[in-house]
Amino acid sequence: MQHTLSILLQNEAGALVRVAGLFAARGYNIDTLTVAATHDPAVSRLTLSLQCDDAALGQILQQTRKLVDVLQVAHPAPALAA
Amino acid sequence: MGIFLVNAQALQAETTTGRRPLAGQSMSGAEVIVQVLADEGVGVLFGYSGGAILPVYDAVFRHNAEHPRADGNEAMRLVVPANEQGAGFMAAGYARASGRVGVAIVTSGPGATNMVTPVRDSMADSVPLVVICGQVGTAAIGSDAFQEAPVSNIMGACAKHVFLVTDATQLEATVRTAFTLARSGRPGPVVVDVPKDVQNAALPWHGSGELLLAGYRARLRAVEQSVLGDADCGAFFAALMRAERPLIYAGGGVIAAEASAALRAFVDEFGLPVTTTLMGLGSFDSTAPLALHLLGMHGTAYANYAVEDCDFVLALGARFDDRVAGVPDKFAPRAKFIAQLDIDPSEIGKVKPADWHHVGPLRRALERLTAYGRAHGMRPKLGAWHAHVAELKRVHAMNYDRASTLIQPYAVIEAINRHAQGNAIVSTGVGQHQMWAAQYFDFRAPRRWLTSGSMGTMGFGLPAAIGAQFAHPGKLVIDIDGDASIRMNIGELETVTTYGLPLKVVVLNNVGDGMVRQWQKLYFKGRFASSDKSLHRKDFVRAAQADGFAWAQRLERHDALEATIAAFLAFDGPAFLEVMIDPDAGVYPMVGPGASYAQMITGDFIASRAAPAAREPSTSNMF
Ligand SMILES: Cc1ncc(C[n+]2csc(CCOP(=O)(O)OP(=O)(O)O)c2C)c(N)n1
Ligand SMILES: [Mg+2]
Repeated sequence: MQHTLSILLQNEAGALVRVAGLFAARGYNIDTLTVAATHDPAVSRLTLSLQCDDAALGQILQQTRKLVDVLQVAHPAPALAA
Repeated sequence: MGIFLVNAQALQAETTTGRRPLAGQSMSGAEVIVQVLADEGVGVLFGYSGGAILPVYDAVFRHNAEHPRADGNEAMRLVVPANEQGAGFMAAGYARASGRVGVAIVTSGPGATNMVTPVRDSMADSVPLVVICGQVGTAAIGSDAFQEAPVSNIMGACAKHVFLVTDATQLEATVRTAFTLARSGRPGPVVVDVPKDVQNAALPWHGSGELLLAGYRARLRAVEQSVLGDADCGAFFAALMRAERPLIYAGGGVIAAEASAALRAFVDEFGLPVTTTLMGLGSFDSTAPLALHLLGMHGTAYANYAVEDCDFVLALGARFDDRVAGVPDKFAPRAKFIAQLDIDPSEIGKVKPADWHHVGPLRRALERLTAYGRAHGMRPKLGAWHAHVAELKRVHAMNYDRASTLIQPYAVIEAINRHAQGNAIVSTGVGQHQMWAAQYFDFRAPRRWLTSGSMGTMGFGLPAAIGAQFAHPGKLVIDIDGDASIRMNIGELETVTTYGLPLKVVVLNNVGDGMVRQWQKLYFKGRFASSDKSLHRKDFVRAAQADGFAWAQRLERHDALEATIAAFLAFDGPAFLEVMIDPDAGVYPMVGPGASYAQMITGDFIASRAAPAAREPSTSNMF
């Protein structure tokens, strides 16, 4: 099933690679990925969609929360306001 | 002491930094790194120098010159391996044996990439390390400069975290934060990549302050502060009191959380038998009546049968990995209730659904459960189960061919164990010898068993033992190695004698990759592709002698076993013993890949339960 996650990420060297790398290393295929600035220049918002079942989703959410640069993971992604 | 509670090392750091003796002083980046290490109480570093890390090495040299110690030792000892992989495993052995953060310092490019294996190994076994890597200057990053490697990308995929310090003003806080990250929550390795110009930058010293890391710290706080409420405890005990055959399955998390005493108290109170994973050995005294020793692929038959028979599992800091729960559906098939305690939320229900769980510091959770159960008069009646467990241990005891005239590896471990009595620190390579050591040694306390559990890295044993000896200079440290495993880091034999370590190195020589041969016998019709080393010419004893071992012997006759082991262990200094063992000795019991515990093969000398029809394992792709 299609899921969309929204991730708030600290803008550190290599932070984006670590998120993308985590999904790849754990065998999840990212369908779409958008990176956007937020009002805080030190923080970016990643919006990411992927296909997986609910158990796999729970696991990847937990794993994503273990990344040190990740501030927040929301699922489903809140409707994009602006 | 919980991993969240400030340990002695950190406490010392806090009081030192609290005084901020040097605050305001100007330092180079390299001096800042060394000062943070000093504040963290780091007394020994493992590493190899090179162009991109030279400023830090020079700062360590000057630090030691400026801080002479009364005992003549250097304030911050720098231990140099033969290869950076050795430094990484030394730092890991130091950390595993002491519970403190191990520190390694290497140069850019090849120095850093040689460190990848120990970093990944430490991640997989939750070992706290701080690894500082030199990097080419910030202006040269991305230009294919000499000895440049994308360390942040490479290590980011296998460490708990990696920092690339491009802003020199963040260096002090970053290095300090690396220690916090390494030891907090589920411990792990943290890499700090420091470009050379950052090492040379002139910086004001602050003496305190860490990076914000708002997300990590908020999640950590939530886990640290979560407590077991009365309702949680009530639900746990309601299930436990319904159980007739409850079992504790204890993993490395018990050791990482310093929760062994709490586990002991829990067992004393409620009487649950305990089986431990490879990483959990030592978390519970393996000689205790309720101890079932190792479970899993090469677990004791009695532990594995107890898992088959139990109706309640309490998993403590254990993650149901494929060497334990190879077929998750068939693991503990009669368990009506699985309770899981872990510090890492992602481990809850990852492999097997838990009926009850708690995420939090293990020691506190166990103490809380014990107190609750005591206060509410919970006294599980487990007499019949205890009798059953005792009978399993008696009938299915570990055993081997005691009449053979070839030296049996099990007998070697037993002989060493008679001297060590569970008090030595034992490290291993990977393979059959590792499993024999796990099966036949007694493990009476935590942090005395150092083995590469999750990664299974050959070459771990010798450098890990060296690191452990630096953590415990007065203790007996023994490396039980394989003829193939020791070759991987054999350069570190010289490190043992260079530093005059009284380490005892044992090579169980079966002339090849014994564990690989065992699988080839079982699953590849005995085609020993590349696992036989009978054409190899190495003379291990002469190799050890060449590296300065004054005591180096080869044992070939089984009737000389006892006397040789006694002389070997009694030698005052580095000693090397090669034992020519029965090359056909196998590791039993064995739960093959894809098999359930009921289908365990116990070999010719360990009693099996009425053997169910042996099933040809369909695949061998789990190796
Ligand atoms: C670095 C590394 N390479 C390959 C392997 C695969 N492997 C597992 S055990 C083993 C053989 C080990 O031989 P030895 O050290 O002599 O131990 P034995 O099984 O003979 O006791 C091999 C090749 C590994 N675990 N680690
Ligand atoms: Mg061998």
